[in-house]
Amino acid sequence: MNLPDYHFFPAPLWLITTLHILTLTLHFAAMNFMFGGIVVILFCKLQDKWQHPVVLQFVKLFPTAMAATVTLGVAPLLFVQLVYPQQIYSASIISGWFWLLIFVVAIISYYFLYAGSFSKTGGNKLGTYLTVALIGLLYISFVYSSVFSLAEHPTLMKTLYAGNQSGLIINSHIGSYIFRWLHMLLGAITVGGFFVGLLGRHDNRIFPVGKRFFLWGMIITMVIGVVYMFTFGEYLRAYMRSPAIWWLLVSFILSLASLHFFFKRRFVISGSMLFISLLGMVINRHIVRLIFLNEHYNPATIPVQPQWSVFIAFLLCFLLALGAVWYMLRMYFAPKHASSPR
Amino acid sequence: MNYPFWDVDIGYGILMPLIAVIHVFVSHFAIGGGLYIVVAETAARKAGDTMRLEFLQRLSKFFVLVSVVFGALTGVGIWFIIGLLNPGGTEVLIHNFVFGWASEWAFFVIEILAAIIYYYGWNKLSPREHLIVGWIYFVAAWMSLFIINGIITFMLTPGEWLTTGNFWDGFFNPTFWSSLVLRTGICISLAGLYALLVASRYPSSPFKAKTVRYNAIWGLAGLIVVFLSFFWYKNAIPGDVMAHLAETISMPFTAIDQLYVYSAILAVGFIVFGLFIPKTFHPVTGVILMIVGLLWFGAYEWFRESARKPYVISDYMYANAIAVADVESLQENGLLPSIAYRTGDDGADLYRRVCRTCHTMTGYRALKPKFDGTDVDFIAAIIRGMHAMKGNMPPFPGTEEESQLLAAHIYNQVDHRHIKTIYNFEGIELGRKVYEIRCGKCHVIGGYNDKTESLVDLSDEEYNDLLDMAGDLGEEMPDFTGDDTERQALIEYLKTLTEGGAQ
Ligand code: HEC
Ligand code: HEC
Repeated sequence: MNLPDYHFFPAPLWLITTLHILTLTLHFAAMNFMFGGIVVILFCKLQDKWQHPVVLQFVKLFPTAMAATVTLGVAPLLFVQLVYPQQIYSASIISGWFWLLIFVVAIISYYFLYAGSFSKTGGNKLGTYLTVALIGLLYISFVYSSVFSLAEHPTLMKTLYAGNQSGLIINSHIGSYIFRWLHMLLGAITVGGFFVGLLGRHDNRIFPVGKRFFLWGMIITMVIGVVYMFTFGEYLRAYMRSPAIWWLLVSFILSLASLHFFFKRRFVISGSMLFISLLGMVINRHIVRLIFLNEHYNPATIPVQPQWSVFIAFLLCFLLALGAVWYMLRMYFAPKHASSPR
Repeated sequence: MNYPFWDVDIGYGILMPLIAVIHVFVSHFAIGGGLYIVVAETAARKAGDTMRLEFLQRLSKFFVLVSVVFGALTGVGIWFIIGLLNPGGTEVLIHNFVFGWASEWAFFVIEILAAIIYYYGWNKLSPREHLIVGWIYFVAAWMSLFIINGIITFMLTPGEWLTTGNFWDGFFNPTFWSSLVLRTGICISLAGLYALLVASRYPSSPFKAKTVRYNAIWGLAGLIVVFLSFFWYKNAIPGDVMAHLAETISMPFTAIDQLYVYSAILAVGFIVFGLFIPKTFHPVTGVILMIVGLLWFGAYEWFRESARKPYVISDYMYANAIAVADVESLQENGLLPSIAYRTGDDGADLYRRVCRTCHTMTGYRALKPKFDGTDVDFIAAIIRGMHAMKGNMPPFPGTEEESQLLAAHIYNQVDHRHIKTIYNFEGIELGRKVYEIRCGKCHVIGGYNDKTESLVDLSDEEYNDLLDMAGDLGEEMPDFTGDDTERQALIEYLKTLTEGGAQ
């Protein structure tokens, strides 16, 4: 019997990659709002901050930001598994227990964010809730960095697995991803600073806080990014010659420009530039993965058997989703309800 | 065999359902609850029933916490666990159905946002707008069921897809519609169950009585839909699959029996506590009914999963991620060369790839007790004949040499004392044990592949001849490798057998 083969992509690779990169950027944006927002709020030196309306507004928004982060994270997870199954599954199996714990920890963090948003008392309790949620998010981000970095080192995977099969090992080459992880975290805090400044733009105590985190976050993020780049070792040359370097330049310029317009209080243009620079970094991340995997795997070699009818069905569902989201948000924020705080 | 194998001490057969059952329980509630809430809100608005609206608002908070947080994240958990436990099977699904999943994701986005806006919108949106958002929520949630249902049913009944490889053939497969109706019934029933639990915390009052009665009717309505569509569903599974199951494995049928029992308990519970004495509906009753509901749903899922044995995707890939199409070449060229992640211990690698998905050594579906007191040749023969054993197992996907390696690996972990010493049996008792261990794996007296007919009324000599040539009786049948004590005991036991199975 001739059974169907499954080694194919159901759409051209460029299309899948585009969807992957776009949804991943959105996921990061939502994650940055939540993670960065929590850090900025927890670490800003603001007296009576737990009574401050902008801070409380953030606290109320965090669960929804978490929902957005998770929801927007599902799509890129789907695409990364489609294109890099052998890398992603293998790396996650090697760190199986740590990987599996992610969703349990996410549930806990989520409930703590809700506990914060429902809490009427304010005060130190809020700080505790957010701290617990933050610890959970740190765990998740670390495991992600570790596993996704491991996935880019097929030989290391084989060695690690040969030594232990129980899923209780974590990527031992910390040097190869600690800066990647820190770069992500600091980047998130930078964007968090942007959002805090944005929502607190009319408040002369909050806005400077956002500004400070945005500025210093960006400087430190860039420094760590450069350090991370130098951990590429033998791959650095290939990286320097790839289109990634142009994207890096674009991101670099746009982030500085974004900072500039932020200081000038031109938030729409600043935010757009920040988003595009984030997109540029996601593209960088994507190209770096291809460079690292190059000797082992190139997705372009997988045959394409397009399922156009299914893709069109998806597109319709997706447009419907955009429409529904727009419709509901418009309804919710309609001016007739302008009396309410949000 | 491109993946490492996650060697966890907990059996795969426990880990997977643990997450999956909790997720499906919550996610089906998230759908049924959506319908419940809009229908009830419409009625309450019409009647101007503020108490009921308050109840619904309370329910919706519970609803957001449970469905948006727990439902969504355990769903992500399922993604994680299937990738860990069966990356090969997941890869097949994702290549074929990625845009199905992507479409489901689009509805998931709508669903999550609608749930949040519905919850925060009680005092912010006009009644009409609020109801619209509620309906958007329900339709989106049900659509995501519609899509995922196509993929889940595909795994049991891939239908025409096996020859065409066409997405739509796989999606709208033979059990698609019946399963969709059945799951919708489950959603409705679960909505009733959850609403009962929330209502149970109200003090006894006419309002409580009305609400509890209303919720019980939801529970019952769903139950009836499930009951009827289950027969449709069962009939939609190709007849030869069911017939084969009936011969080889008891689990799906045990699951069906359980399904009936739990349905009956639920029905009685809804009628007695919900319809007759609703005023005093106690939280404990609510919790108990909820647990029965969980078992009830679990029994259905167990039926579906066990009916798929030995496959992860029927007729396409076995549960241990060996593609049906690859078996022949693996038997010829060996499994080991195809394993990308080797550990240096070939026997252990083979054990993980071939048996470990469904067995552990001493825990879940333990192998050790099945082989205690036997010998390596026997184990190797059993491995080569695994597809002939009861339990509906896949064929051994390796060479004869590999079966020896695997057998040696298992043999090293079993009890090497004599069967007689291990179980402390004598005479006929011992003979029965020998039969159970050396023959019963493939011939159950009065059951699976029964050979009693050929084993009764023989002379000592004939019994000895039979055991001497055991290996020639059937392709998968092992030589009799037990010692004289075992042989005499077995013969003594066989002599007690009579035609018709009873002894
Ligand atoms: C697709 C899942 C699956 C795989 C793979 C599998 N088994 Fe099984 N096995 C089962 C099931 C199901 C049973 C039945 C358990 C029962 O009836 O209680 C079973 C039963 C058995 C039994 C016991 C029969 C008896 O006496 O009750 C043995 C022995 C056995 N398997 C050995 C193996 C070995 C050895 C391997 C690997 C070479 C293997 N199995 C691979 C599913 C599997
Ligand atoms: C690994 C599975 C397996 C085991 C273990 C096994 N058999 Fe069999 N046996 C078979 C198969 C397969 C056949 C031939 C095909 C068939 O009829 O199912 C067979 C055939 C037979 C037959 C021939 C029936 C006939 O009418 O020709 C007898 C008798 C028999 N087995 C007895 C035994 C006894 C006694 C034992 C234990 C010492 C035993 N078998 C162990 C698989 C097994």
